[in-house]
Amino acid sequence: MKIIVLIKQVPESQATRMDETTGTLIREAASSVINPLDLHAIECALLIKEAAKEKCEIVCLSMGPPAATKVLREAMALGVDHGVLLSDRAFAGSDTWCTAFTLAAAVRKLGLPDLILCGERATDGETGQTGPAMGAFLDLPVISFVSHIEQIAGGWRARRMLEDGYETVEIDGPALACVLKEAAVPRLPTLQGKRLSRAKDIDIMSAQDLGVSQDDTGLKASPTRVVKIFRPSHLKKCEKLPAMDPAQAEKAVDRVVCLLKEKGLI
Amino acid sequence: MNSATHSYQPISTNVVKELSDLLGASNIIFNDPERLEPFSRDEAADCETRNPELVARPGNAEELAQLVRVANRERIPVTARGAGSGLSGGAVPLFGGIVLDFGRMNRILEIDRANLTITVEPGVITSEINEALRPYGLFYAGYPMSLETCTIGGNVAENAGGGKAVKYGVTGRYVLGIDMVSPTGELVSLGGKLVKDVSGLNLLQLMVGSEGILGVFTKIILKLLPLPKASVDMLCLFKTIDEAVAAVPKIMTEGGIIPTAVEFMDRLSFATSCEYLNESLPCADAGAMLLITVDGADEKQVEHDYDVIGEQCLAAGATNVYVADTHVNSERIWRIRRAVAEAFKVFSPHQSLEDIVVPIAAIPAASAAVNEISAKYGVKIPCYGHAGDGNLHATPVMPPEWTFEHWHGVLPEILMDMYKAIAKIGGHISGEHGIGHKRKKYLAAVADPGFMLMMRNIKTALDPNGIMNPGKIFD
Repeated sequence: MKIIVLIKQVPESQATRMDETTGTLIREAASSVINPLDLHAIECALLIKEAAKEKCEIVCLSMGPPAATKVLREAMALGVDHGVLLSDRAFAGSDTWCTAFTLAAAVRKLGLPDLILCGERATDGETGQTGPAMGAFLDLPVISFVSHIEQIAGGWRARRMLEDGYETVEIDGPALACVLKEAAVPRLPTLQGKRLSRAKDIDIMSAQDLGVSQDDTGLKASPTRVVKIFRPSHLKKCEKLPAMDPAQAEKAVDRVVCLLKEKGLI
Repeated sequence: MNSATHSYQPISTNVVKELSDLLGASNIIFNDPERLEPFSRDEAADCETRNPELVARPGNAEELAQLVRVANRERIPVTARGAGSGLSGGAVPLFGGIVLDFGRMNRILEIDRANLTITVEPGVITSEINEALRPYGLFYAGYPMSLETCTIGGNVAENAGGGKAVKYGVTGRYVLGIDMVSPTGELVSLGGKLVKDVSGLNLLQLMVGSEGILGVFTKIILKLLPLPKASVDMLCLFKTIDEAVAAVPKIMTEGGIIPTAVEFMDRLSFATSCEYLNESLPCADAGAMLLITVDGADEKQVEHDYDVIGEQCLAAGATNVYVADTHVNSERIWRIRRAVAEAFKVFSPHQSLEDIVVPIAAIPAASAAVNEISAKYGVKIPCYGHAGDGNLHATPVMPPEWTFEHWHGVLPEILMDMYKAIAKIGGHISGEHGIGHKRKKYLAAVADPGFMLMMRNIKTALDPNGIMNPGKIFD
């Protein structure tokens, strides 16, 4: 059995600073960590591996600059077997569509696994698009909002957390699951794990290795255009109604009733 | 002369008016038991409490000096209070009078990068100092466990220790200057932005840890250090307390590395804290834990250091060593340690949080002595604390089947036994929480009589009317 976990390096939120004029993250200043939700995906993979009767290999796949090897080592310190980094100047500026396309190409190259796991979204972009988009590119069934996942004969059983309750689904064959933090509590790396991860090789793959043309990846191939970044203004208004004596209180109540009627709430 | 022999006057309406004119009516609480009650206690459990007659919120040094002059003239006790997070009953106004609230004197006045100092008012929350310093790549090394709530004024008055004292020392090491109001109401300036200074007696350090009995602070100058670029925490699990405790002196002396922190938790402590925090870290087989921090100028150095210390722990019998090198993971393991005291209060409110300190080589002997006392009285005494400093929070907990009266009858015997045993191996009764009124009778019993006399003489010389925080440290 083989599981691929997609991980993203994100700025450590504690150390993050914003450029006040452009409204964007100052990425250089922050140290990078594994996207927190991806840690839950890694933990799911490790738990599946520990429960599996057959031999199971976990590969972590990431896309980013060469420094992203750090987060892959972090994953390997937790018990992940291999790390693969897609790193090429040609990938720079990829949007979620393009990233999913490129990651899908890498998965085809590595061989389709039994399960692909990813965190539901990343703390920097907050789109939650890359995982499902990748499932589409690979023509895999996607299980979203997963709060628990386990192996069953021939496939997977997952519990999805929805707004109005839980839904349990069973699925045959390979699938892609986007997990929530409820799915598993991430373990801490051990000293032994840290040491082992330092000695391990990380495969670095370029656009050429993937057989992806320069025109199909990176900023140029990304349909998303960031037109403008701005701080949303707070539109909430507050009206204070004094009610220090009975007369004032009566007036205040009238005003509240009037407001509620205006909004069509009563 | 002692606080019991001073006679204090109740606060008259004339004095209330005078203080109200001085500070503004909104900065005074008087005649309002409900609002005065929160100022009647600190975090020391099961300690005597008393409402102050008046709470005053001075806005600056001059107002504070005038207030103290009024109090001294009228023989009204004055008790300074930071955030009330103290653990010795130090901020409890035992004789009523005025409690000073520093909520208005809470500004960071200056960050001096050329001299590596920060100047603050006493009401600044300790953790705010490092938040303000982070953009400058500097830090203040004080790290009391209550840093998110306690104030720097309280830290200096108690000479707070905390989690990083192994490498960085305690609060006093970083106090370069204090502006204060003396018990007779004079404004006094001690020290300054000086790395060395022997111009006269070292009254600056006399004030550090003086528990509010020698005056109140209005401004504090602290020394800063370059912020370490890398820091890693390790949580080391041991099967037994003895193994964990025995590892500490080895870590401190044999590896050639000074860790930033070496914290100890026995099973009862970490299990209680984990339950309180809903933390599911796998530690079912562990009997004790060490939380060890190393920091330094670069990641490679820190990696080397934690490898060496982690290896020492494994050699000393650790069953597992977790490594936290991200902020999230570091917070996850430090939270376990920081929440122990809070968790105990929730699960067993009747307890006595102690603060014994011994030479680091005597930690195994201290642990053995505590175990012996625990067995003698049939009382559980969970232990946690700053093992790297030889500072252990041994905490006798009331057995659930005992009555409260029985507990209060036996507890003083337990504590006296413990303090005497600790004194025998070269230890003292409090490493960082202070004496306050919680430990004053024990201090008198185990401390050098000459030392007690000298302290009393200093107090009498500086505070002839005994108005400053009476009833603390000694009678």
